[in-house]
Amino acid sequence: MTAELSAPRRWDPIVKLTHWGIVVAIILNAIVTEEGSGWHVRVGYGLAALLGLRLLWGIVGPHEARFTAFPPSPFRAIGHIREIGQGQVTHHRSHNPLGALMVYAIWACLAAIIASGIAMAGAPPSDPFAASHEEAEEHAVASPATSDDEDEDEREEEGGAGEEMMEEIHEIGVNLLYVLIALHLMGVVFETRRSGRQIVTAMLPWGNRRSR
Amino acid sequence: MNGNVTSNRMKGRDRQVTLVAAIAVVQAIAATFFVADAIGDVAADGLSTHIVIEGLIAFALFAGVALGVWQVRIMLRLAQRRDEALAIASGALAEHIGHRFSEWGLTDAESDVALFALKGCDVAEIARLRGAAAGTVRAQLSRIYAKAGVTGQAGLVSLFFEDLLG
Repeated sequence: MTAELSAPRRWDPIVKLTHWGIVVAIILNAIVTEEGSGWHVRVGYGLAALLGLRLLWGIVGPHEARFTAFPPSPFRAIGHIREIGQGQVTHHRSHNPLGALMVYAIWACLAAIIASGIAMAGAPPSDPFAASHEEAEEHAVASPATSDDEDEDEREEEGGAGEEMMEEIHEIGVNLLYVLIALHLMGVVFETRRSGRQIVTAMLPWGNRRSR
Repeated sequence: MNGNVTSNRMKGRDRQVTLVAAIAVVQAIAATFFVADAIGDVAADGLSTHIVIEGLIAFALFAGVALGVWQVRIMLRLAQRRDEALAIASGALAEHIGHRFSEWGLTDAESDVALFALKGCDVAEIARLRGAAAGTVRAQLSRIYAKAGVTGQAGLVSLFFEDLLG
């Protein structure tokens, strides 16, 4: 057990690939893709796949990638804060207790964003160069012009209210995610100062080589 | 030198695990898109033979993801076990060598030289590594061989090799 604690932290390739894949997806959908566009939806589905794989890995992966290695425990987090106050440094092979809370918060946030996004957009559009999803949907609704007008109005109203709520959830989730990411980066910087560069190199694509 | 070979092999192994993991990631993304698309089709057109085929493909994709993940898991576990076994073996060997050296009554300097000799260094290399004259090293080596009861470097190495083979 002591050997396990003193051994340097090393994330396996699945943890790294999903971590950096999610980073790329978030950056793409925050800056590059147009909100609600086909590509935005597609990148969102990709992010969902990465999150799903990481969650699967949390059940079947190696010890330090499993949920059991970093349970969301406020008590341990408080203990960790106390340790920081006392200037003690424990090296954790998995996430440290505060980091674990952050991980679950980010995952929950991503899940809410993905769920609300899928509720709004539906299946991923098959034509990458199609116009925005909303336009396509309008087109689809407009084409069966034979249906009863009243019915359609009602349906649209219902859909509109639900969609508005989903949009709200999506936006709040995204803003919360930005806050969490900022906190995560601050946490990484803080822990790096406290317990060394190993925290960062353990997650870098090339930083995993056995030291020495 | 030996260290480099080992670390190269480890790098190759890391790369292999990363490759399998990357394939699993791509499969997971593909499977997600495919299933989302299939669900969209069912919602739009209802069930049909086309959907049954899509369902089979989706199943195959997810099975691929599961197997890929499983493969990564196994590779990681094997790599870890090999590292541990190697660490234990090299630790035990180092201990055994130290034991033998003190049994033969080698001095500290002689133990150093003997260790380099075991690692396959020749007189010139040992002299350079220890910052000593070649003549000194040669004299130390002959004392080491005499104490160990062998005639040369090959004999010294084979003593430990014999111990390892049992």
